[in-house]
Amino acid sequence: MTVFKTFFKILNKNKFIVILYTVILLVFGGFNMQTSERSLSFKPSKPNITIVNNDEDEGITKSFINYIKDNSDIPDIKLDNESLDDALFYEDTSYIVFIPKNYHTDFINGKNPFITIKKSNNYNAFYADMIVKRYLSIANSYVGSINNEDELIKLIDDTIDTDVKIEITSKIDSTNIDKASFYFNFESYSILACLIYVICLILSIFNNQNIHKRTIISSTNYKKNNRILLLSNLLYAFILWLFYLIASIVLLGNIIFTTYGVVFSINSLLFTICATSIAFFIGSIVTNKNAISGIVNVVALGSSFLCGAFVPTEYLPDSVISIAHILPTYYYVNTNDRIKDIEVFNMDNLKPIIINMIIIIIFIIVFIIFTNLMSKIKRKIG
Amino acid sequence: MFIHNFKYTFKTLLKNKALIFWSFAFPIILGTLFNMAFSNISNTEKLDVIDIAIVNNEEFKINTMYVDTFKSLSDKDNNDQLFNTKYVSIKKAKKLLEDDKIDGYMVIKDNKPNLVFNKNGINQTILKYVVEEIQSNKIIINNLTNIEIENQINNGNYNIDYNEISKNVINKINSDVNIIDKSNKNTDFMMIEFYTLIAMTCLYGGMISMTAINQNLANISNRGKRIEVAPTKKSTIILSSLCSSYLIQLMGLLLLFIYTIFVLNVCYGNNLLLIILLSLVGSLTGLSLGLSVGVLTKKGEGTKIGILLAITMIGSFLSGMMGVTLKYIIDKNIPILNKINPASMITDGFYSLYYYSNLDRYYFNIVSLLIVSSILIILSVIKLRRNKYDSI
Repeated sequence: MTVFKTFFKILNKNKFIVILYTVILLVFGGFNMQTSERSLSFKPSKPNITIVNNDEDEGITKSFINYIKDNSDIPDIKLDNESLDDALFYEDTSYIVFIPKNYHTDFINGKNPFITIKKSNNYNAFYADMIVKRYLSIANSYVGSINNEDELIKLIDDTIDTDVKIEITSKIDSTNIDKASFYFNFESYSILACLIYVICLILSIFNNQNIHKRTIISSTNYKKNNRILLLSNLLYAFILWLFYLIASIVLLGNIIFTTYGVVFSINSLLFTICATSIAFFIGSIVTNKNAISGIVNVVALGSSFLCGAFVPTEYLPDSVISIAHILPTYYYVNTNDRIKDIEVFNMDNLKPIIINMIIIIIFIIVFIIFTNLMSKIKRKIG
Repeated sequence: MFIHNFKYTFKTLLKNKALIFWSFAFPIILGTLFNMAFSNISNTEKLDVIDIAIVNNEEFKINTMYVDTFKSLSDKDNNDQLFNTKYVSIKKAKKLLEDDKIDGYMVIKDNKPNLVFNKNGINQTILKYVVEEIQSNKIIINNLTNIEIENQINNGNYNIDYNEISKNVINKINSDVNIIDKSNKNTDFMMIEFYTLIAMTCLYGGMISMTAINQNLANISNRGKRIEVAPTKKSTIILSSLCSSYLIQLMGLLLLFIYTIFVLNVCYGNNLLLIILLSLVGSLTGLSLGLSVGVLTKKGEGTKIGILLAITMIGSFLSGMMGVTLKYIIDKNIPILNKINPASMITDGFYSLYYYSNLDRYYFNIVSLLIVSSILIILSVIKLRRNKYDSI
């Protein structure tokens, strides 16, 4: 009980750090949740296109602008050069169309006026390019043959308006599950940081030479001592996990009460236990209090970056992913990513998830053994 | 005395392990992580070849326009290859879609294309777009041929050369559109991550100058008490301490530059002198920040470190370290916040060197940094000059 009480006294003194990492999780988790629309029918993706029109808003120019507006989103950007360039760089817009003066009269008179564009380097820009070129290409095909502007515009509109039938087979709404998967992936960072920081700090206090000596000569077995400490740690970890789970219900809503949510929660509980054992292990090696914040940053940031907690794994280079295999976070994130892709839960698609969980359990056992070993070695030296 | 104090401050600072970790090793570790995580993003943002299937029924086979278009868009030797197309039965197409092997498939029924997807997305939209374009082209051919025939009949020409007409129409469809592309070549926005890293390192340098100044303050360290009673000019001592901390700061920054340029291949633009100038000025801001926190707060060393870390981290956060878009959002909506944030000024300085061809924005940032540094240094000097300790 003494050990237990001391544990929570120290925790209370260091609650600031726990609050900090929790706020980070909620801010980033919540940041990503803003757009939420259910879509079971087909919705075409729309790139962001900005139009700078130096011509009058008439005739073919007007029709061209309306066409772009229908097929893209127009972001709210100031139209001066610097704002436009910034927006393009930070991908607020993917494509900027500059329509020159007198465009519509020059066009109808067969002067072949040029449109200037600026684009970024991603697939949205590629797609925007398709959209813009399609209109211009159709207009180009007709312009020599038809001289009346209104007739031309009508013909272009009719040509664009083709009806292609589209069917969507999936019956699940994946957007909410994607968000949940992002939240739980990010949670791994907060869990690791909160647990390692607090637990290492507490252990370093318990491992203080004088206190340590006092513990060794007491009648309590070192294993029992470690066990009580581990239990207090686990309790703290459990409270943290529960808190994040409640936060996820607030942020994500009902999805937590579905099978998806249950698997997400079990996975995060396992990872929390694993993080506790890691923290316990690091705490048994590190005795210097000043080194803890450095270690927390390196371990938590490192594993989160490498294993795809911040940046989705499909964006990571293969070499990084193969390194990530030696870290438990990888298996945690991998499970979350797999859950997201499941349409129907059955043994076939649950199998890799169960394997991932078993690997995490093995990590837990290995870290507990290492911790006991370290403790034993230190005890002999002490 | 200047050289003496300079030398010993230099030695004591270099022996401070925590200080060296945070200002030398931590930025390099963080840079390595950034590089591992972000190096592939710019590549994956480009469009991959899209896996699709086409139901190979009789209706498709006789529709030459579809056959030809998809053949050329799926040609592996073509640089603009867009699709990887499998020609299969309807059963097989359904299976492929179910197993997520393809993004969607097309089946032509009653002379109309039908598309089947299992989710929304950019790849699906592009397939839809290509099919619509083929449909549009069919309409254009139809319309133009009719117009052309009508024109010829109106002109009294009843001997119509259909081959000639269809050749002209196809040429019109395939003619290039009049577009001038003025895009900037430097568009890798992940570079911002590395610029914020440099900014963070510059400001972390404040930790070094603060440690140095703490050694000279009587209320913080014993050495400070000893120095305070020594018959030496205080300005010489403080100036030499700051000079040596500035030197260490620049060493750390140089190390980070060498590492990011040669190992991580970060691009800082082509103007080396301006990069050095920005680094020197940025470090000076870090130094003055550390100095002012050290001098202006009367609390213990731990609190001072806390304050400095908080300023640096919040500054780096706002300048886009944890998500490049944040800098843009702030620039767009609350520009004043980034105009007073030194981390943003440094980041923005590098960004303008990388992205912009004119230097106005760069010099604006340099001048802002100099103003911030001057204010902080002047405040610290005023405070230091007034420092008096009660006799005990």
